[in-house]
Amino acid sequence: MVTLDEVLGSGLLQKPSGDAPEALQRQITNYKPLQTFQLEKTRPYQQQYADIYFLRLTKIRPAVEAAASAAWEGTVLGGEKVKKVERVLDVRQGELCWVAGTVYMDMPLKPSILEDVSKDRWISAPTSVGHYYSGNVDDSIMLEDDSGRIRLVGNALQNHFMVTGCIVAVMGTENANGEFEVIDLLFAELPPQPERWSLSKGKKEDSEDIEMMDASFSGHPSKPPSKKIAIVSGLEFSNADTPYAMELNLLLEYLLGEALDPSTQRDELSHITRLIIAGNSISTTAAEHTKPAAAFDTTTPTNKFAPPNQHKKYGYDSSSYNPIPSQLFDNFLSELLPTMPVTLLPGALDPANASYPQQPIHPAMFPQSRTYMSPPKVGVGKDRDVPEEEEPGWFDNVTNPWEGEIEGWRVLGTGGQNLDDVFKYVESEDRLGMMEAMCRWRCVAPTAPDTLWSYPFQEDEPFVIKECPHLFFVGCQPEFGTKVTHGPDGQAVRLIAVPSFSETREVVLVDTETLDVERVKIVAE
Amino acid sequence: MEDYKTYLAENVLSEDKVVTYRLLSRALRVHPNVAKQMLYDFHKTQSTKKPGSVYATYLLYGIQKSVQHQNGNAMDIDLPSSLPDADPVDDDEVPSYTLALVQEDRLADVLKDYETISSIHVYSVGPHPAKDLTLLVDAAQSALAIKDDTKKPRPRTIVNSHVRRRERRGPGLKAAAPAPVKQESKAKAAPTKTAPAKPAPAPAPAAAPAKSKEESKFATPATEPEAPAAATKKPAPSLKRNTSAASGIMQAFSKAASLPKKAKTSEKSTPAAEDTPVALSDDGEDDDDVPLPKPGAASSRKSRKEREEELRRMMEDDEDEDMEEKADSPAPEEEEEEPVVEEPPAKAEAAKEEEKEIVTTTGDGRRRGKRRVMKKKQIMDDQGYLVTIQEPAWESFSEDEAPPASKQKPKVASSAPPAAAGKAKKSAPKGQGNIMSFFSKK
Repeated sequence: MVTLDEVLGSGLLQKPSGDAPEALQRQITNYKPLQTFQLEKTRPYQQQYADIYFLRLTKIRPAVEAAASAAWEGTVLGGEKVKKVERVLDVRQGELCWVAGTVYMDMPLKPSILEDVSKDRWISAPTSVGHYYSGNVDDSIMLEDDSGRIRLVGNALQNHFMVTGCIVAVMGTENANGEFEVIDLLFAELPPQPERWSLSKGKKEDSEDIEMMDASFSGHPSKPPSKKIAIVSGLEFSNADTPYAMELNLLLEYLLGEALDPSTQRDELSHITRLIIAGNSISTTAAEHTKPAAAFDTTTPTNKFAPPNQHKKYGYDSSSYNPIPSQLFDNFLSELLPTMPVTLLPGALDPANASYPQQPIHPAMFPQSRTYMSPPKVGVGKDRDVPEEEEPGWFDNVTNPWEGEIEGWRVLGTGGQNLDDVFKYVESEDRLGMMEAMCRWRCVAPTAPDTLWSYPFQEDEPFVIKECPHLFFVGCQPEFGTKVTHGPDGQAVRLIAVPSFSETREVVLVDTETLDVERVKIVAE
Repeated sequence: MEDYKTYLAENVLSEDKVVTYRLLSRALRVHPNVAKQMLYDFHKTQSTKKPGSVYATYLLYGIQKSVQHQNGNAMDIDLPSSLPDADPVDDDEVPSYTLALVQEDRLADVLKDYETISSIHVYSVGPHPAKDLTLLVDAAQSALAIKDDTKKPRPRTIVNSHVRRRERRGPGLKAAAPAPVKQESKAKAAPTKTAPAKPAPAPAPAAAPAKSKEESKFATPATEPEAPAAATKKPAPSLKRNTSAASGIMQAFSKAASLPKKAKTSEKSTPAAEDTPVALSDDGEDDDDVPLPKPGAASSRKSRKEREEELRRMMEDDEDEDMEEKADSPAPEEEEEEPVVEEPPAKAEAAKEEEKEIVTTTGDGRRRGKRRVMKKKQIMDDQGYLVTIQEPAWESFSEDEAPPASKQKPKVASSAPPAAAGKAKKSAPKGQGNIMSFFSKK
């Protein structure tokens, strides 16, 4: 409870005193992006998608099998000892066994390429289905590997999130119907977690001192406020008159540190060291709404030669391009960049490729801000050896998903499509649980390439999480959520579901020492 | 230090504007925190002098009471976790701050909902209660519009000494500012424009009068009903293209209007839009005198509907024009001498002979125009035989298309400097042609 009298006459609510305040210095954090999801500029698209599943299975199966043999080795059920079976096809009826493989969900509501081909539909539009999960018996869960496929049944399946593409080990028996009765089920669990500062070793020494100091003084009131990074998603700049234009302004002022009073600026705002934009910065949907359906009913007499639909002539109509959203976004960034570095992940609405992993938004979209980006990689010859040590851009436009190291912590983030797609497979609303499950599956986008559009990888499957992140955030979610999940080997992952700013007007702050999370809600009435 | 009072009095009281602390800070080049205090002081003195004359909005930052706090957090806890091994206890309380913009009159009420307020200051001062946030947004935008000047950098609250910008490498990065592009095209277009504006009567006056004349021409009611609208509303698909696109319309209007009437007078006396169907073609003259839309201004944008409408009209009127031209095919060579058509002055007598090619645009580096070609046409005669006849027709072209020499005889009549310059580029590989040539009658 705060009363008006308390606040009056304090801080900035008084006459200007005349002495110009000094400018504060913004803190910085160590930042090292990884190129895990970067694709070649000249990449072929002719390959088959099967390689992704094969690579994923070969990469994750050892971990799953290790976990399974640790758990099930020597287990005796009903007088029968559990045996390991190498391939799905080797499962024999009535034998108690366990086998590892890839899950495939067969759901009638799921878009199916086979159906499209058989019905001669060659244009694949994004699916509009909200949920593939229908809850009826038609949904079935299969386990497959390169040998074959078997249908999984049993109550044990109900306790877990199951989506296409995750690698599991199941224990049970094949029943008379040829189905596999699952008694128990295991995932790969969290991958090994690198030490903090594993990538940027040089910084380790000085920071350890601080860390120790922090640890010994934890809870002490005089502890210096630690540095933070801000994560926001779904800014969805559309038009000058968006209903939340004021909130966007306030967000900018907040991040710039121009808002609020000197003590807050000193203790909080100047400690925000980086802004991560996790997808959906630009929205063109507002422009779509203005598209009139019956615009051509009132054709003027001069149009007598033109059939009503002639405007849809050939391909891209450049006059329908709306430059305003990207201009607004560019303005926003160019205001912010002089005082704060920005990492930009593309999202579903952004002008990047639609398939995972999304490549960085082209610098041409940012005529003003792009001078803060790292210079374009020119030739192939001389510069080839340089990139390893090249400094990341102050304005770093990165891939989605993106992996990097911030202040020593391994960070993995996505623009949200992977979680949204997993969400469609399951009945639950527990998005944090799904994020946790992704870590346990060791796959950041298990549903690619089945229902999440993806590049047909041939040599590598980058979606497999090889090293457990310390911080895993997913942008463009309907609401905020966070928790810490722990792995069997002492791994700890801070999960954050970053809400869309356009929906919730919220920005998330993460402490770079403790990985604690704060949220800031911006309200303009 | 006291000039802020005059500034605020002027803007808020006299001009009815809303002034935010950022606007004040940037306009007077004072530190934002000082600007906040200035706003407060101004608001206080004005309110004591005359209550209700100015209204303030406040920006609060603090923690709201736990009712909402719980609400925000409850979702994470309430949801049934279907993972048995999930760690439900770990979901610690997440501190949630609120940054709120509050009207003066609601301040006391809103404050009651807060547990702590860590910061409060005046955000803006305006002559009316800020019912509509758009006024504040406008004020914020106008604050952004005040650019830094290098001599007196605007004070910032937080600076970052580590900021890096990339080095400019080569000329490729010049486009960072859209302005130079426009300048460039203007400069290029200027020399080609001096003569054509003045046809026969006065031999080549200075560039400036010609330009202004054209300007006035376009300002006359001649093209009034549609042309200005078209020009100003024409969206800017790309900043660079814009000039030629908009001017192309203007030019086409005037030309087509004069075509059927065989008016040899300049359009100044021709009420162009009065009767004929407006003909639009793509052979745009790079005319900078046309009132150009500001690419950035939201107000000048027109709705999608209008744009589509216009585009469609442009297409089919282009066909119209072609048909008209075919109907009176001998006429064009005279008509094309119309002032709008760009032609080097040296060609005054060359125009007597058949005009084979008219280059109308060189401005954006691409040559567009019309050329006269012989077209084969197959018709069925009254006895049912197919007869192939050749007839002259006009075809619009752009530089990217293969040079006409490949198919027809080289019919290049214009040897003027700008045209020649364009010709050199003409050997560019056949890439994407001008789409309008697709629609023209072949």
